[in-house]
Amino acid sequence: MTVAAEDGIDLFIPHVYDMVWSAIILVIVALFFYKYFLPKFNAIFDERSSKIEGGIENAKKAQKQADEAKRKYEDQLSTARVEASKIRDDARAEASHIIADARSRADAEASQISQSAQRSIESQHQQALVKLRGEVGTLAAALAGRILGAKLQDGAVQSQMIDGLLDEISDNKQ
Amino acid sequence: MVGVAGIHMLIAAQGGPDLPTVDDFLPPEILFQGTPFAINRIILVRIVATVAMLLILGVSAHRAKLIPGRWQGVLEMGVSFVRDNIVYEVMGALRGRRYVPMIATIFFTILVFNLCGIVPGANIAATASVVMPLVFALWTMVQYWIAAVREKGLGRFIRDEVFTPGVPWPVYILLAPIQILELLVIRPLSLTIRLFANMISGHLMVATCLAFAQYWMIESADKLMGIPVGATWFVGGLLMTCFEAFVAFLQAYVFAILSTVYINLSYPEQ
Repeated sequence: MTVAAEDGIDLFIPHVYDMVWSAIILVIVALFFYKYFLPKFNAIFDERSSKIEGGIENAKKAQKQADEAKRKYEDQLSTARVEASKIRDDARAEASHIIADARSRADAEASQISQSAQRSIESQHQQALVKLRGEVGTLAAALAGRILGAKLQDGAVQSQMIDGLLDEISDNKQ
Repeated sequence: MVGVAGIHMLIAAQGGPDLPTVDDFLPPEILFQGTPFAINRIILVRIVATVAMLLILGVSAHRAKLIPGRWQGVLEMGVSFVRDNIVYEVMGALRGRRYVPMIATIFFTILVFNLCGIVPGANIAATASVVMPLVFALWTMVQYWIAAVREKGLGRFIRDEVFTPGVPWPVYILLAPIQILELLVIRPLSLTIRLFANMISGHLMVATCLAFAQYWMIESADKLMGIPVGATWFVGGLLMTCFEAFVAFLQAYVFAILSTVYINLSYPEQ
């Protein structure tokens, strides 16, 4: 331990070699930070913030597109719903039309059928009546002839009798 | 310091603990003795610390990715701390952009150099010789003079600083010399001495605690008393080491923020 070292003031006296090394080191670290370290990190910070901004932008765009698509689909859906209800109404109306048509046609056909049936019954009835009249007349004439003999040879009496008989039958029938 | 050395002398005479002295900061030259490139212990620590810092930070920056890992996250925290919490906070982003690399250099280098004080093997801060803090302080001074000349012009800067407006003229007799001294001497020297003295006292405190721990626990003949006393000193050394880590950061921060403030003072008021 030197006596000089006991004096704390020695600590504050710079040595040439200390200055040289301090200056060299300062220049080296300053160059490193100025030229490499900070530009590198700044580049990374910038890239990151631009990426984040780009991401936010993209997300906004996607959101907008999604909103648009949703609105479009909702519009389409509501149109489709309206259309569907219209179609249903139309179908219902048509169905009732068809039913009514069918009913009226059926009614008409039925009445036609019943009319023609009525007519054919009537005509058959008429035919039967005419036929019956002829047959009954012949039969009755034959029968009466057999019973009464010559007494009924006269044609006038014969037809009068037959008419009377038929009228009686008709009255009975009614 | 003289007092500590005195006690050392006293105890050393009795074969006491190997207490640290001022000599720790005036180590002998071990390489290139006598030349301007002589290297002593502190300078060796400084060179090793510089190489280690450049390697670690350089490799980290080279490997830096857009999506940071844990280590890169720590580094980015440091970089954005210097940028946002020191430079931009004091002088704003517009003015501060050009000074971010300078303040980052000062902050990171001083932090690493200070931390050497508690790195085993180094055990002395690389800033614990007066020249290293002085060089940083002179850099700051050069920068605030350049900023002053560029932003205000030399004449207006000196007029504003030395003859502070709004002061009655007789006060200038007292104020003007103080202001000149402030600009040329006090600012750089206060930066230098604050950092340097903190590193010296930190080393002395840690080393004293550990020297007493060593002495009481191992060298003392009276083990009954020596072990608890030594253990207490050791705990003290542990706490001081943690405190030194904090001081290492704090002094780097103080140096960086004061440099920023001094440079900002050279800009015209807005």
